[in-house]
Amino acid sequence: MVEYIVRRTLQMIVVFFIFLVSSYLLFNAIPGNAFSNLLLNPNLPPDAYQKVLETYGLDKPLFERVQLYVVNFFKGDFGYSYKYFPKTPIELIAERLPRTLMLFSVVNIVAFYTGFFIGKVLAWRRGSKSETWITITSVFSYTVFYPWFALMMLWFFGYKMGWFPIGKFLYPEKWYDAPFDSDVIFAMMIKFVLVVSLIQFAAYTVTRGIESLSSRRNIRFLSLIAIFIGSYFYWNTGEALSRKPYAADIAYHMILPVLVVTIVAFAGTALLTRTTMMEVLKEDYILTARAKGISQKRIRDRHAARTALLPVVTSFIFTIVTIIDGSVLTEQIFSWPGMGQLLLQAVLEEDIPVAMASFSFVGVFALLAHLIADISYSYLDPRIRVKSQG
Amino acid sequence: MEIDELKEKNLQKQLRKEAIKRNWRLFAQSKLGMIGLGIVSIFLILALLQPFLFMTGIWSESIYHPVVGYDQIIESKLVVECPKEYPTPKYATFSECPAQGEVQKKMLYLAQGVEVGDMYDVYLQPAPPSAKHILGTDSLGRDVFSQIMEGSQVAFVLGLLSATLGVGISTILGTIAAFFGGRIDAYLMRQSDLVLMLPTLPLLFIISAFAELKIWHLAVVLGVLGGLGGSVITIKSQALQVKVKPFVDSARITGGSQRKIMFSHVLPNVAPLALLFMVFSVTGAIASESVLSFLGLLNIDMSWGLMIYLSQTDGFIFSGLEYWWLILPAGLSVTFLAGGFYLVGRGLDDVFNPRLRKR
Repeated sequence: MVEYIVRRTLQMIVVFFIFLVSSYLLFNAIPGNAFSNLLLNPNLPPDAYQKVLETYGLDKPLFERVQLYVVNFFKGDFGYSYKYFPKTPIELIAERLPRTLMLFSVVNIVAFYTGFFIGKVLAWRRGSKSETWITITSVFSYTVFYPWFALMMLWFFGYKMGWFPIGKFLYPEKWYDAPFDSDVIFAMMIKFVLVVSLIQFAAYTVTRGIESLSSRRNIRFLSLIAIFIGSYFYWNTGEALSRKPYAADIAYHMILPVLVVTIVAFAGTALLTRTTMMEVLKEDYILTARAKGISQKRIRDRHAARTALLPVVTSFIFTIVTIIDGSVLTEQIFSWPGMGQLLLQAVLEEDIPVAMASFSFVGVFALLAHLIADISYSYLDPRIRVKSQG
Repeated sequence: MEIDELKEKNLQKQLRKEAIKRNWRLFAQSKLGMIGLGIVSIFLILALLQPFLFMTGIWSESIYHPVVGYDQIIESKLVVECPKEYPTPKYATFSECPAQGEVQKKMLYLAQGVEVGDMYDVYLQPAPPSAKHILGTDSLGRDVFSQIMEGSQVAFVLGLLSATLGVGISTILGTIAAFFGGRIDAYLMRQSDLVLMLPTLPLLFIISAFAELKIWHLAVVLGVLGGLGGSVITIKSQALQVKVKPFVDSARITGGSQRKIMFSHVLPNVAPLALLFMVFSVTGAIASESVLSFLGLLNIDMSWGLMIYLSQTDGFIFSGLEYWWLILPAGLSVTFLAGGFYLVGRGLDDVFNPRLRKR
């Protein structure tokens, strides 16, 4: 097991270097040398000119430039953004990242639970009419052309009904005399969501061992209520109280994106769960359980769904990779100024340092998620665990 | 001797026929797969119909061409003057004036000598659906139905091309990885790790922002990205399962060369899975193309994504359903064709994946 993890990590480090170099080469292959665009500006003062030359090593051969880039990457030095000049790409990313993380951690949690639940029911009711209809709906939402769908939802809920704001993540007039900037609130909200989901997860793991289905459900329900009461107290005491209206403003802006992305994203999990569930239901031990006379619900929840959870959890971890990837569209449509929008704008406006930094960052993020997925899969799947030991 | 060979050939043919028939029966059992096949064939007919209509001259290119066609649709409207205060006996609220078939005099300030009560010819752009234009025309007077047809041609070309390319690459690489193992295997697996890790959409943005992407280029890029990615791993594991089957061993014992075993024993057994991948990757390719042209990053004449892009930049999306023919057909086409391919894939999954079959 340990050997496997170490080997995997080493491989990942190699892959990471290849990724860095190839992303540099990709940018380098852009016609018209994107780096020297800035140098062509006649208004550039001589020392700035010198600085740009030095930062990117533009007067050196390709091999040395690549070396310089890798070194600079670890120093976190990408030069300056062309568009937001005094800011560095790292500062921009640090500013945008909490917003993206906030939006998509909530979306992923909601979508995963809905998807898993619906998939479970789908596989169980195989062949019934409701199964066909739910499947058609989830296939529709799985394959729906996402930007179009999001725009339609935006039109309906934001414009026609006027229930939700059309874009952005806050009302500027409410924040006019706010004593702190929005990133503080975002960081706080992320912490809150993280703690809540950890508590919920802990409650689930603890109650897993309880045999009786009804008492298990009751305990889970109690923990949910406890979370509600706890969060009520949290938001009404001390520092959090003064930040509550601002957090509420952000949360209000988040409702529509979360709803839309959930509708689109739950289907992937639901369909995957359905397939794996159906494979599991063919296993002999399910037949044995049926023959023993265990109740249907129990077979579904304890015998089948648990085994089927394995690939679904892995795919959930893999979706972390797509967080930033998919966030580009959502953020563009809902004008949510996060990482995805940063990357898209940087690419469109040829703000090369920012584009490079955010692209590399996305890659590193994806790599880490990949590594975690691999390790947790090897841990969860006894077949891999045993094989690597033997 | 020859007769025997002939017999064997006939037998093989018959066996193949029967296998196809059996698989078709299995496929036909899944309702969703058949629905998907129906949707895909409707779009295929649409894609093929347009050149046919142009060639036979039923549609004139100057009117119906999806990119440069133009049709004047003229409607005579009654010139009225909207009252300052509401409600009046004719109009209950502000938004009801001008009503259907009426035009405000204020809007015709460029036309000389138009009085209230006259009839005035208005060019309708976009024009609502009529017998001549089944789905109306867009803001430049181009036929929307013809654009949908052109879009489905683009989708089919792109989807099938990139899927074929991708699946070809991944089948060959996956089989090689399974067959030779060792360093080649390790290298190929790391390579597909790297490709899997690449954030696809941002990568496509970067490529398309700096290089003029045409539909062929996009197909190649998508195909290569898909072919080097995760499907190599799955096909490799399938090929590994085939490799240890007794018939491969017996082929080796009877002296079959490596290449012979790979191409005529292992590859055919991996092919069903590859076909499945192909169908699923068509869905992805169509979606990627639409997203890119929706963001205006593709150098393409007409596609479904571009239609939505145009209707968004022209501001028709937030006009709600008043201009539904500009908004719904393109979006629904992308959804339905992608969904159709997905459903076909699901149906094939039932055929090729015996564990999923109903008992």
